[in-house]
Amino acid sequence: MNRRKFLTFMGSAGVISALGTAKVAKAGVHTFPYYPNSYGVLHDTTRCIGCRRCEEACNIVNKLPKPEKPFADTTVTHTKRRTSAYAWTVVNKYQVNGKDVFRKLQCFHCNDPACASACFAKCFQKQPDGSVTYDGSQCVGCRYCMVACPFYVPGFQYDEAFDPLVQKCTFCEPRLKEGKLPGCVEACPMDALTFGRRSDLLNLARARIAENPGKYVNYIYGEHDAGGTAWMVLAPAAPAPQPADTKDAPKETQPHEDEFTQLGLDRHLGSQPMGELTYGALGAVPMIVAFWPVLFGGAYAISKRREARYKAEKEAHIEATKNDLAAAVDAAVRKIEETQGPGAADTARRAMTEALQAREAANVAEHGEDK
Amino acid sequence: MRNGTVLLLLAAMALASAVCLTSPGTGSAIAATLEATDSGAPSAIVMFPVSAKPNPKGSAMAPTVFNHLNHEKAVDKCETCHHTGDPVACSTCHTVEGKAEGKFITLERAMHATSIQERIGQTPTSCVSCHEQQTKARRECAGCHSIVTSKRDPAWCATCHNVTSSMTEQQRKAGIDGTLPREQNEILAAETVQAQKYSRMLTPMDGPYKVSIDALAKKYQPSNFTHRRHVSSLMEGIRGDKLAGAFHNRPEILCATCHHHSPLSTTPPKCGSCHTKDIDSKHPDRPNLKAAYHLQCMGCHKGMQVGRPKNTDCTTCHKARP
Amino acid sequence: MAEHSIVIPTRDKLFNISEFFTPTPGNIISGIILAVGLVITIIRFTVGIGAVTNLDDNQPWGLWIGFDLLCGVCLAAGGYFTTVACYIMGQKHFHSACRPAVLTAFLGYAFVVVALLYDLGHPLRLPFMFFFPGTTSVLFEVGLCVATYLTVLFIEFSIAPLEWLSCRFPWLIKWRKVLVMCTIPLTIFGVTLSTLHQSSLGSLYLIAPGKLHPLWYSPFIPMFFFVSSMVAGASMVIFEGMLAHKGVHHYMDKTHLREANEVSFAFARAASFILFAYFMLKLIDMLVQANLPYVFTGYGAWWLVEMFGFILLPALLYAKGARDRSLTFCRLGAVNAVAGIVLNRFTVSMIAFNYTLPSAERYFPSIWEICISMFVVTMIITVYRFVVYNMPILYEHPNFRDGH
Repeated sequence: MNRRKFLTFMGSAGVISALGTAKVAKAGVHTFPYYPNSYGVLHDTTRCIGCRRCEEACNIVNKLPKPEKPFADTTVTHTKRRTSAYAWTVVNKYQVNGKDVFRKLQCFHCNDPACASACFAKCFQKQPDGSVTYDGSQCVGCRYCMVACPFYVPGFQYDEAFDPLVQKCTFCEPRLKEGKLPGCVEACPMDALTFGRRSDLLNLARARIAENPGKYVNYIYGEHDAGGTAWMVLAPAAPAPQPADTKDAPKETQPHEDEFTQLGLDRHLGSQPMGELTYGALGAVPMIVAFWPVLFGGAYAISKRREARYKAEKEAHIEATKNDLAAAVDAAVRKIEETQGPGAADTARRAMTEALQAREAANVAEHGEDK
Repeated sequence: MRNGTVLLLLAAMALASAVCLTSPGTGSAIAATLEATDSGAPSAIVMFPVSAKPNPKGSAMAPTVFNHLNHEKAVDKCETCHHTGDPVACSTCHTVEGKAEGKFITLERAMHATSIQERIGQTPTSCVSCHEQQTKARRECAGCHSIVTSKRDPAWCATCHNVTSSMTEQQRKAGIDGTLPREQNEILAAETVQAQKYSRMLTPMDGPYKVSIDALAKKYQPSNFTHRRHVSSLMEGIRGDKLAGAFHNRPEILCATCHHHSPLSTTPPKCGSCHTKDIDSKHPDRPNLKAAYHLQCMGCHKGMQVGRPKNTDCTTCHKARP
Repeated sequence: MAEHSIVIPTRDKLFNISEFFTPTPGNIISGIILAVGLVITIIRFTVGIGAVTNLDDNQPWGLWIGFDLLCGVCLAAGGYFTTVACYIMGQKHFHSACRPAVLTAFLGYAFVVVALLYDLGHPLRLPFMFFFPGTTSVLFEVGLCVATYLTVLFIEFSIAPLEWLSCRFPWLIKWRKVLVMCTIPLTIFGVTLSTLHQSSLGSLYLIAPGKLHPLWYSPFIPMFFFVSSMVAGASMVIFEGMLAHKGVHHYMDKTHLREANEVSFAFARAASFILFAYFMLKLIDMLVQANLPYVFTGYGAWWLVEMFGFILLPALLYAKGARDRSLTFCRLGAVNAVAGIVLNRFTVSMIAFNYTLPSAERYFPSIWEICISMFVVTMIITVYRFVVYNMPILYEHPNFRDGH
């Protein structure tokens, strides 16, 4: 391959990689807008009594299939349940420092949702009203949203053969548009769920913590967790059970799990949106698209050049050997001509040329035709 | 400077005791009318907000009269309050500003702190923390006190900061400086204690017999709340209790657990006058009427550890509509 | 040349499929697996995913993603690894290994997509990702790269079918020439895409730090996936060569046979270096993330097994094999390394995933999921055999012996 050919190839490689860049560059860093006026719900677990009215309301409002056990049966809260495609909210009982506390589970409607970041068909949207909505009409069913969700919320219709979709709490978005409260909030007989602007709810939660010293853990779950969520949780501050034998031993503060962990909430999600964890890797994509062709093109050029030089050297060597041989043959023939006459010289030249050709042919046969 | 202050204080105390011992005045006659304590400490004393720095206006809070006699009877040992083991006045170490002897714990904290870290040996208690322990541990108290939290408003503070109005400005200043003679102190305290009238409690008969809660009766029948039974059981629980008597110093205070946030009255407004049927968007934290009922009833029952009815047994309180 | 046992299809007898119809044990087993797989396929697409899998809401990705996708893509890395070594790095003596490697890669990727169709709720909507591109998603990047790379591999591979079919349709020769000219840019494009999506398969798990065990979760997980994919590529060439020598030896020409061992040794040496590097990367990563306490737990024991039994051990086997020019050691190393990669992908996607959940809520694949995975592998082998029987993969076509 000559130099021009090589440059042509390099050029086309550049064009192709440029096209690749154009396509992939969109996969770069992108952040969701934050909606300051969005709505949220504050879940005060000190008020929740585990009556499952929210579950019932959710089921009716969203026309979900009837569960096996009726909603009046509150014993189901004793087993650990999670949200599924057919139960968008569930209430579970937890032991917080030995006391029964109920917590409602549903989509947290993150400010910058992991599911929306993970979805490769843009099914999930954070709406200005605070809800995270899902459009099943373009869902491919890859379930990466379920892998991504740090709260184990979305459920998948595994039993559906032809139109299986991911399902989760919608924040009753259609009801919000009509000016109604979400079904569960409306149904709660204890006002354990308070609906309002997220910013107001934060103030309200702080006021509740301040006005009732010793009642709440001084932490609003969801204020910052996973980048902040629209649904937030207050946990009761229950004193840790005191061990009996603390007479003389210096009293260590008993390392016990914090109340939120006991409520099944992960305190280690960090304050950045989950999607941001992938942005570093995604940001490297355009760099690799830009740099790799140069790197490997260069490597190719180097190896090509080395090969060409090797070939040239080899050819020069062969040429030199050939010339040497020809000169030697010529000298020998001239000598024979001088001593034995031209007839003998011709015979000798023919014999020597034939011998050389035979050798060359043997070489070719041994090493393959072109190497 | 600080050591000088201590010396000055000690000198003042010595002087005060000397005066007390040598000249039996008219004051001790009044003090003597109170029952004497076993320990020999005064039966009641005025606790002044003792301050090292001269403050022309005096400290803001009215001094508190501490009934040493009643408290001595109520606790096992002196160390419960005198946590160093040395029976000296609180203000010896805990002044308004705090000082080194009291690990800079101010008088306010020493009297009001509620979350006190456990110590090796004797853990100090404050007035409020000890009283709170009582209201939480005693079942007859725990119901109301799980839904009522103490507030910092004049009515609440005045329950303890109640020194008699006959105290002169001069006496007050002297008390704050720590120079008030002990016996004058005792006279003031005795006067205050004697002026305290245990108010006549309302009787259960003053309230309605039954209240039908029907404002929301849609899914369920109205709930027949046995008002008189509830009030009488609460009153029975605290009958003759000194702590309860001292703090429930106005008859309507007991009503104010449920009939909260309105001026004390024997004819409080209805719940529905504040709590609307649907949540009021202007007051998002004010529970709606249904939740208000449930929070009050269940809050109290939960605090009292009333086993039945269960929170989720709806039809015990209001029968299902047929 | 001497290998006249090679059946080269001619204009009159274009198909050479008689080998499929001899009742050898291999053929019988393949037939059974394919039949069972077909039945499960029908159940899967008429009753639903839940009918044949143990997947649930906590474990939405199971064996089909963990094996068919993660392992499938990784083990098909031989394509880019071999072509880069041969065409870009100028190791001309690897030339005979390129076509089998590209074929395996192409089949690997093609059947990754096939397996993916089983796992997707809406398989027909797969192209939706191009209509509604979720550009913040790692999966979008994976999808885009895999789709593009599959096209690249198809073009790279299609030289062989063109050579095969040209005996009946001579006009295809022109196209073949065009494609041969594209080799270098396609190779460079292929390695770029491979780097991207091999690493991105690891990046998929970056979004779930709470679910993947800390010993495997790392900000560098994309790098681990990429580095281990190079090992997988090299190992698969050796491993597959070993199997090919057993099964389709009679389709190899003299050049292939002569170069095969050299390829094994060279790749073993490369894989050994990379495995050592991979071992150090993982070790340092564990240390800098202060995960040492986890090493002394149950998962830590599993991590140590992986580190020493499936990274360090194959590295040593490879080193010995390359140094002593021992094919046995190289092959042992290849088997060990491939098993290690598969284990690693299983660990990330299933064993160490959802490690906080109680064991009752954990996932174990159902027998039918395993059957479908076996079905997919059998399909790959069957198509591979068909291609090898008919097209110039392991031998050079006598009509196109034009030097390279």
